Amino acid sequence: MLNSLTKNIRTLTELDGASGDEGRVREAILEMVKGHVSGWHVDALGNLIVEKKGQVPAKNTVMLAAHMDEVGFMITHIEDHGMARFVTVGGIDPRALLGKRVRAGENQVPGVIGYKAIHLSKDKRDEIPEITDLMIDIGAEDKEDAEKVIVPGDFAVFDSDYVEFGDGLIKAKGLDDRAGCAVLVEILKQEWEYGLCCAFNVQEEVGCRGARTSAFAVAPDYALVVESTTAADFPGIDESQQVCNLGRGPAISFMDRGTIYPKDLVALAFDTARERGIAAQPKRAVAGGTDASAIHPSRAGVKTLTISMPCRYIHSQASVLKKADIEAACKLVGALAQKLAAL
Amino acid sequence: MSKEALKELIFRLAQAAGVSGDEAEAVEAARAELAQYGKTRTDALGNLIGEIAPFKEGRPHILLDAHIDEVGLIVTGICDGGFLRVDNAAGVDTRILSTADVTVHAKEKLFGVISAKPPHLSDAKEYKKAVKLTDTYVDTGLSREECERLVTLGDRITLNGVPRETASGRIISKALDNRICCAAILRCLELLQDKALDCGLTVLFSTREESGGQGARAAAFGVDPTHAIVVDTTLADGVYESGCHYEIGKGPTIGYAPILDRRMSQELMALAEENNIPYAIEAMGRGTGTNADDIVTTREGVITGVISIPERYAHMPIEMADLGDVENAARLMAAYVEKIASRT
Repeated sequence: MLNSLTKNIRTLTELDGASGDEGRVREAILEMVKGHVSGWHVDALGNLIVEKKGQVPAKNTVMLAAHMDEVGFMITHIEDHGMARFVTVGGIDPRALLGKRVRAGENQVPGVIGYKAIHLSKDKRDEIPEITDLMIDIGAEDKEDAEKVIVPGDFAVFDSDYVEFGDGLIKAKGLDDRAGCAVLVEILKQEWEYGLCCAFNVQEEVGCRGARTSAFAVAPDYALVVESTTAADFPGIDESQQVCNLGRGPAISFMDRGTIYPKDLVALAFDTARERGIAAQPKRAVAGGTDASAIHPSRAGVKTLTISMPCRYIHSQASVLKKADIEAACKLVGALAQKLAAL
Repeated sequence: MSKEALKELIFRLAQAAGVSGDEAEAVEAARAELAQYGKTRTDALGNLIGEIAPFKEGRPHILLDAHIDEVGLIVTGICDGGFLRVDNAAGVDTRILSTADVTVHAKEKLFGVISAKPPHLSDAKEYKKAVKLTDTYVDTGLSREECERLVTLGDRITLNGVPRETASGRIISKALDNRICCAAILRCLELLQDKALDCGLTVLFSTREESGGQGARAAAFGVDPTHAIVVDTTLADGVYESGCHYEIGKGPTIGYAPILDRRMSQELMALAEENNIPYAIEAMGRGTGTNADDIVTTREGVITGVISIPERYAHMPIEMADLGDVENAARLMAAYVEKIASRT
């Protein structure tokens, strides 16, 4: 299971797919799941919705959700000298921008996010430039040269390879939420007693937009959102501020900025983990939001839970997950989905 | 050497590790290229010296120098959870550190990520400041025990600035400062290889420039040249209104400064004109901020000049340069060597 998960995470994280530009990721996921599902369709926004039949009819419709988009950039203007002004697509810490490589446009050309060198920055040596000061530099000779390969409205993403390191860790861009997508793919490849639906959503990072329409289409009784969430488990950060820890299994949310999770679902998740000997931890902060915020108020309401893999340096070019947590998340979500289908 | 071969050479040199004081890997990469042109040796400070044309009594002895060390970090402590405490080893731009990935040169090469406090723990003021090195950790993902087994305090850390070629053929990599200048010297040697030179010619890939020029100072004493050209990078940041006037793609710069030999500067300029080599004049008021400042006062003095290759984003992992500038710097140096060699 782990090899298949990590292979797919490598494939998916190395694709370019900022919010609104998820096509390449969707194509890859479709290739991965086509042979294992009973039906699929793509809706008007680009969400990929798949159904998998079980061995017996399910009592409840269960929808698993993960989002295909990653945070990235959009080119807004190309200056005469050939460098490009840009905005972020989704939330990126301004400190995580300067000095990073990107890929820009349909042609996915190499570029960098640059600014004046430290030697020329005099009294501002430790100040982070504003996004409006930075530019994406694709090494063009001038505007005309740049416009051969990029135009305003083009997307760009971090240029960051998948790397395995340390004690079973993975570094890649877009682990939020390509890891979640890979977990759903892995679940779809297995045979289950009860069938389920999976929504591979678009545009989560810019306001959980895709999740609104896919939830409406599926109209589930229960939904499990599989995400990554921020882990600040480093030196100098008090335990109470760390949110969750790598190596302690998926983090189960009781509340975040978009959703208050049903206590019985939270309890069921922990019970299931305990029964199966799967590591799990509470998410120890009310922070962030997920597609659950769009799913749970859909139609007449959906009982929804978010299960997240602890992720260091989320929304950066070097987000980090622990393999053991990914595998645990996969086992927990699979088992929990079956329980919900039969409740 | 084709443009493609020059690019590959630069990437080979730039991707080798060589933080100030720990340049061995980069020196070996350069030695592999230098050995075809002459005998090579290293000295007490790790400098790589290539004897291209032997010293002749009564004839000029030219030294071509490019520093081979790069900026990086140094390990100062090991913490629980495999996090390393670090400090700057010569000039990394700390504004780029947050979430950058690095290589720790320990008993094995270890991959690491520079940890950063996530937004939910930072207030509005913190967003605007680069991480303080005292608050920065390198996340190796190993246990503390594993780190203690593999990592030694003082191990160097390089930035993972992998090579890329842009759509217009510019190059991106860490350590273009100063490996593009090492490459320019190697290309110059290729241009000179079939010429009989009636002068001594020695190449120096000097260590420890970023930490104060100690390498070049010692090596120049050992080599004892009459003339020296120092090749270093210069800042090309025109678009950011930083008061900098140079740009990539417009040729190398020729240095003019009180400590440099004015006649040599003028000769370089005349040679550039004669040979249709694009260039800019880089006028500096006191020192040059390069090894020239140390070489010029070696023994009884050395006639010294500076040729610089413009690059963007100095001391970041994304340095960018133009191959044409490297080629033109090489041609200019070769023209100068030939001229001095033929001077009676």
